[in-house]
Amino acid sequence: MRGFEDWAKEATDPKNAAGKPEALPGLRVLELSPGHFGGMVAASVLAEFGAEVIKVEAPGGDPARNYVPEGIVIAGTGLPFLSEARNRKFVTLSLEDEEGVRIFRRLAAVSDVVVETEGPARMDPLGLGYEFLARDHPAIIYLSLSTYGVFGPDASRRVKDSDILCQALSGVPYVTGDPEENGPGEEFQVPTRTGNWHGWFAQGLWGALGVLAALMHRDATGRGQMVDVAGAEAMMKFVDYNITWMHTAGRERRRTGKFDPAVFPYTYIRCRDGYTFIAAYNDEAFESLMHIIGRPELAADPRFRSGADRTRIENEKVLHAILEEWSGTRTADEILREIERYTSKKSGHGAAVVTGRVNRPLETLSESNWWERGCFSRVDDPVYGNLLLAAPPWKMSGTPPRIRSVCRPPGADNEEVYAKLLGMTGRDLSSLRARGIL
Amino acid sequence: MSGFEEFARDAFSLSGIPSKPEVLKGIRVLELATRIFGPATADYLGEFGAEVIKVELPLTGDLMRYVAPEGFFWQEISPAFLPQNRNKLHVGVDVRLPEGRDLFTRIAEKSDVVVENLRAGTMDRWGIGYSQLREKNPGLVYAANSGFGQWGPFAKGRASYDATAQAVSGMSAITGFPGHPPVRVGLWIGDFTGSLFSAIAILAALQARRRSGEGQLIDLAQAEALIRALDWTWLYSDITGRDRERTGNRDVTIPPSGIYRCADGFVAVSARDEAERSAIARTLGAPEATPEAVAAFAAPRTHAEIVRISEEAGFSAAPVQGGRDQYRDPHLRARGTVWELDDPLYGRIDEFGPVPKLSESPGRIKWTAKPVGYHNEEVFGSLLGLSGEEREELERKKVIGRWADAPGARPPRGATAGPADGGRKEGPAR
Repeated sequence: MRGFEDWAKEATDPKNAAGKPEALPGLRVLELSPGHFGGMVAASVLAEFGAEVIKVEAPGGDPARNYVPEGIVIAGTGLPFLSEARNRKFVTLSLEDEEGVRIFRRLAAVSDVVVETEGPARMDPLGLGYEFLARDHPAIIYLSLSTYGVFGPDASRRVKDSDILCQALSGVPYVTGDPEENGPGEEFQVPTRTGNWHGWFAQGLWGALGVLAALMHRDATGRGQMVDVAGAEAMMKFVDYNITWMHTAGRERRRTGKFDPAVFPYTYIRCRDGYTFIAAYNDEAFESLMHIIGRPELAADPRFRSGADRTRIENEKVLHAILEEWSGTRTADEILREIERYTSKKSGHGAAVVTGRVNRPLETLSESNWWERGCFSRVDDPVYGNLLLAAPPWKMSGTPPRIRSVCRPPGADNEEVYAKLLGMTGRDLSSLRARGIL
Repeated sequence: MSGFEEFARDAFSLSGIPSKPEVLKGIRVLELATRIFGPATADYLGEFGAEVIKVELPLTGDLMRYVAPEGFFWQEISPAFLPQNRNKLHVGVDVRLPEGRDLFTRIAEKSDVVVENLRAGTMDRWGIGYSQLREKNPGLVYAANSGFGQWGPFAKGRASYDATAQAVSGMSAITGFPGHPPVRVGLWIGDFTGSLFSAIAILAALQARRRSGEGQLIDLAQAEALIRALDWTWLYSDITGRDRERTGNRDVTIPPSGIYRCADGFVAVSARDEAERSAIARTLGAPEATPEAVAAFAAPRTHAEIVRISEEAGFSAAPVQGGRDQYRDPHLRARGTVWELDDPLYGRIDEFGPVPKLSESPGRIKWTAKPVGYHNEEVFGSLLGLSGEEREELERKKVIGRWADAPGARPPRGATAGPADGGRKEGPAR
């Protein structure tokens, strides 16, 4: 076992990535995703695997640069944009101008993939929709990200796609958060969004998957295609068994807060330094946990004897209180150690007592594990300074993903891209700049 | 109808899907995984045509078979087992036995991808880990999904569930309301998000293999996938030295975007830019679109009313939906997102369909999950060429096998090969 672990570390440690080949070299991606984080995620994933991503911003910069939680701005750009602007070339181009539109078409003609978040209602009249681009360039793969998708009865709804819309429609908030207990709920007993932009994130990830699938088709046939991803559906897919349960039993998932309809204990409990997760839901694991908390007699208590007993809501409440009585005097680390001391002597189902501190971000950052695993990258940029990014999560032995750059100012790569790809001269560029097209 | 609508109606028509090619046809995926984070990865590949062979232990199989919402089984199978196990061939092999290990290896030799989610090092100890399999099949792409990775301080034997990843990643700490406890997302979001990350890397590795002919090991830790998904959390903590706080249902990045209580439920109101913010302010008759003003505006109105007003005024809104709304939504059915499946064993069952819609090589759901060992003959006979006698011998030795006679593992009662329930939605068992 030691042998495999050492081998795997040597083979997949991100520190050894430099010098290894990339998975998607030579794939050129044209990204048009103004104000849209999901589009950035899709392009970032391809870029982490080695694609050349050219991000097109309006002159003056992408509106997403102005998303500034707590007003923190670095060289004119907010933190959300900086967190997802990696590995790109940045060009400016006005699509308000016909010549700008023509230039976009020329860029698309030399690209493999277009990622866009403006939708057919804007792209088609400009002549930049899939059908138009594919006419001269049938190999183009065209990813369109929107809230509702590009077809179906709701496709014509006029919304500007955003994380909160995707979340609301996905069904994730509907099953997340504390239920109302007696009468009208408190302010916090409501459907609850994920704190991060998980709706946008899932949309971008599915977009990347769709593009990679389309690439396989292009490899086989030489033909591109349109890939349509609806943000509403991206996280919807993650809501467990919602559709099959509706179909078979007429039931839907609802929010149950710290309780769970299928497995218990499987919950967060308060401890001395915050909260920790605790799970021990099969009979053997539950018995282990009752030993660990010094209440072995509870394993035979009629309220908790079987999984069905333990998942009755009134029993879940009692059990939750019992667990907190124990955990309240211990830190999350002490709880982890006590559990590991006990379960290391067990095997099989009885060892399935699982815990983990509910880390605040600074706590996550303080754990050396993530740094050793290369989950975070510190990148030094001449414009944006020293920034901490979440690294690509995959450790791969052959073609590891990697971060090559953090961000560039709007138009920073105009000269290189327009000269190299479209053969423009310095004079062309000055003229376009003077007319506000770049 | 606009030109685009006409194009899209044809290009994405559900009735056109069966005659279009499947992109991953010819890619064989061997799955040795349980619950979600593993099975869902293989399912996402199976949606696009990969041939997924799901290996389970004879009799009980994947323990997810027994996670049944409120104890409910439908036609002897849990509705919670279906969503991440469609389009698969189910075989029962005890890979802990030497002959089972050999069978697994022989299938792996004929496979392009292995997906597993056992504790780190287990496969290697059993003699069927990446280092052993690549000796036989250097082109193999091997995805090892786990809680904490194949190496590193947390990797050794530390068990992990979905909520472990939600907890340790920092996701829960930023989800929920200020002054109240952190909130665990009420679904297996770490499992499903991680599964998607894993499927993406597999496709990238298959692209790389086209060039090099070489496969590779993909080590993906669920917690690390969620860390990657927390957007500006890390930049913020690093720069300010502070924790990102929970802000409830308000997206403080793009105010007043958020989820608000309305007369008949909850509604998301969204303003991505100045144009949308001023549209909200105009609608409210307020100088500024503050969250408080939006809350007061939403409270007495229905979500349908708010969505209609938003469309006229030029901002964005959408209802907070649940599974019942989605199940009944004609839009989702027209898109195949709620996929109406006729399964040869179970009859009509509606499922989540593929998320990315591809115009030329679309994904599809062909059949739903099956009992343990349901496809033993097909895989051991046709693929490995074992004779009936050889298969019987292996069965006798309990190397291969089928389902236990228990809900979750076994076929529907009275099932034959054909559609079993004549369109009835309620199964006999409860």
